Amino acid sequence: MDFDDTPEEASYRARVRSVLTDRAADLLHVAPGEPVDARSREAELRATQGVLAEEGLVGVTWPREYGGQGGTLVQQAIVSQELARARVPTLVNHIGIGMCGPTVIAHGSDDQRSRYLARLLRADDVWCQLFSEPASGSDLAALRTSAVRDGEDWVVNGQKVWTTLAHVSDFGILLTRTDPERPKHAGLTMFVVDMHAPGVTVRPLRQMSGGADFNEVFFDDVRIPDSERLGEPGEGWRVALTTLMNERVAIGGAGSDIGQSPEALAAHARERLPALDPERQALARQAVGRALVASLATRYTGYRRFTTLSQGGVPGPEASAGKLGGTAAARLVADAGVRLLGDDAVLGATADGDDTWQRAQAYVPGIAIAGGTDQVLRNILGERVLGLPSEPRTDKTAPFSTGGRR
Amino acid sequence: MNFDLSDDQRDAAAGARDFFTGSVPLSAARAALEGEGVPAPGRKALADIGFLGITVPESAGGAGGSVLDLAVVAEQGGAVLAGPSLVTAARAAVLLEGAPDLAAQLADGSAAIAVLDGPVTGSAPSIDAADATLFLGLDGGALVAGEGEVVPGRPLDATRGLARVRLTSRRVLAEDAGGLWERARQVAAVVLAAEDLGAADRAVLMAVDYAQQREAFGRVIGSYQAVKHMLVDAWVGVDQLRSLVWWAAWAADSAPGELPLAAAAAKAYAAEAFERAAETAVQVHGGIGFTWEHDAHLYWRRAKTDRLLLGDATEHLDAVARLAVGGALG
Repeated sequence: MDFDDTPEEASYRARVRSVLTDRAADLLHVAPGEPVDARSREAELRATQGVLAEEGLVGVTWPREYGGQGGTLVQQAIVSQELARARVPTLVNHIGIGMCGPTVIAHGSDDQRSRYLARLLRADDVWCQLFSEPASGSDLAALRTSAVRDGEDWVVNGQKVWTTLAHVSDFGILLTRTDPERPKHAGLTMFVVDMHAPGVTVRPLRQMSGGADFNEVFFDDVRIPDSERLGEPGEGWRVALTTLMNERVAIGGAGSDIGQSPEALAAHARERLPALDPERQALARQAVGRALVASLATRYTGYRRFTTLSQGGVPGPEASAGKLGGTAAARLVADAGVRLLGDDAVLGATADGDDTWQRAQAYVPGIAIAGGTDQVLRNILGERVLGLPSEPRTDKTAPFSTGGRR
Repeated sequence: MNFDLSDDQRDAAAGARDFFTGSVPLSAARAALEGEGVPAPGRKALADIGFLGITVPESAGGAGGSVLDLAVVAEQGGAVLAGPSLVTAARAAVLLEGAPDLAAQLADGSAAIAVLDGPVTGSAPSIDAADATLFLGLDGGALVAGEGEVVPGRPLDATRGLARVRLTSRRVLAEDAGGLWERARQVAAVVLAAEDLGAADRAVLMAVDYAQQREAFGRVIGSYQAVKHMLVDAWVGVDQLRSLVWWAAWAADSAPGELPLAAAAAKAYAAEAFERAAETAVQVHGGIGFTWEHDAHLYWRRAKTDRLLLGDATEHLDAVARLAVGGALG
């Protein structure tokens, strides 16, 4: 047991680190926890990813034939760690790299692969994932956006929502219903959609935390050529599972923190504890200690999953426990951080305008919903890890058009 | 990074599971509680298979193994509520680093040793003191060994062998032993967390098995999300506890600077994760889970006891916060 890099990992890390130093002038840097607005900083974000792609630090695990590096998940984790260490923000095309691209690789035509993948890695094109809808969130297969065949095209109508990065995207992978007379999972088809096509309207949604990272997207008679289909008609659910499995790999994590880090909380406590009344200091230390323990428990559990990956394993359903634990820890960390602010805790920012902890607090409810709600994750863990039966369902077999009822 | 057990450690865990499963029926814990037996497998059996000497140096007749080696065995003992605890073996092995003769007697079981918490003139209830004959304690900064007068009290969990002790004789083993004492207590906390890990894991499995079979309102209760989510939360607690136990045991062996933080984190988390697992097990079983005849309360008793031994969660959470504020996270 050890937490050290192997000699190969150490030399890879050294190479990554030297690239990030040598090219520092060409890369965007931000303070830890500083929000990065994709719209206002779009050009810098795209340029940064372009530089990193040039240096072979994008698409680390992608096959070489599609412009990737043919590397390991461990190498990808090292790149992510070093980018964070160098304070380079998350790649603007992280959804494209982690989810859309792998889906095109698995289910696209040779023509699609050659047109899309290299540009995606350089962030010449930014991609988004058009899955959730107003009436189908956790129950994704209940989606209603329709695609109807018309000659060589499909005509799409409907609405997607919670679409991260849609407002700066050039392409998206779009899950549609093409046969409402079949059961819900069997009537779906996946496409690549041009986000600049006529009939596509993107409206940013403001979140309760104040930022606007995601959007609603409307499709009004949008025409998509049949050549942009991913997988066979009716096979959309299987294609979507590829995407979601890659999402699990992408967020399965190498012990990376969700929300503010335990180190950030410790530094904050170091600064703020002395300002509290002595009795309150003892109570605050309880809250800080509890948050740190939860955070460390999640971090070291992530290291166990990471070890599994580095031994050549694949992330299983237990990866959901990492997100569940990480969310719980993020909640405790944010809460302890806010409480340490004393009187300032009831305001949106401290007197000097710092809103780090208030922002962390307002971000937590979103973490508990995005990428699998806490409740859905508990169902996944209960059914696929503990072997408990699912709730009885009638919606899996009845035609979607009947509303899932027989 | 390789945050995983070695093949040898996996084999040792499997061997320990076989040993404990074969030698410790849960009926032993109940019988001990009823005053009609003693904890199983007992000191001699643990000495004979070598578990009391895992971390004792080879030169003193032990196996010269690591705290992690001991923790993976302790987890298996915890699963069946075995007694005496390997916590004492781990803690005494640290305290007796400078007393190889006594360490040898610890390892081969010829001395029944317990470590006292609190003043040696009247200790707090201390693990496995009830049937011990030689006691180690901290007396004015010195490590002392001696015989004592033992007052067990009525047990909440009879497998822990808790007793108050007043030393009737004492000889100094080491002066200025405060640092040694503290490190031994941290190692003990790690091994206690490892035993709690095994017990919590078993309590959750017991509840999951029942939830897969018991039917109510026309289907098995594990299919209801209200029940399922309780079980998942308890299981996630066990899974995360395993990570902290491994980290803390690794720190004891390989990164002594991290041990105070890691041990406090593991002990604090163990207290609450095991308690939740045991309470969930009782609740999921319903009425039968509240009976004397059912095993669930044996785990519940262990959880309610262990959470307070070697410092409760309040103490350890405070330590984590103080250490982190002092720079222990780097």
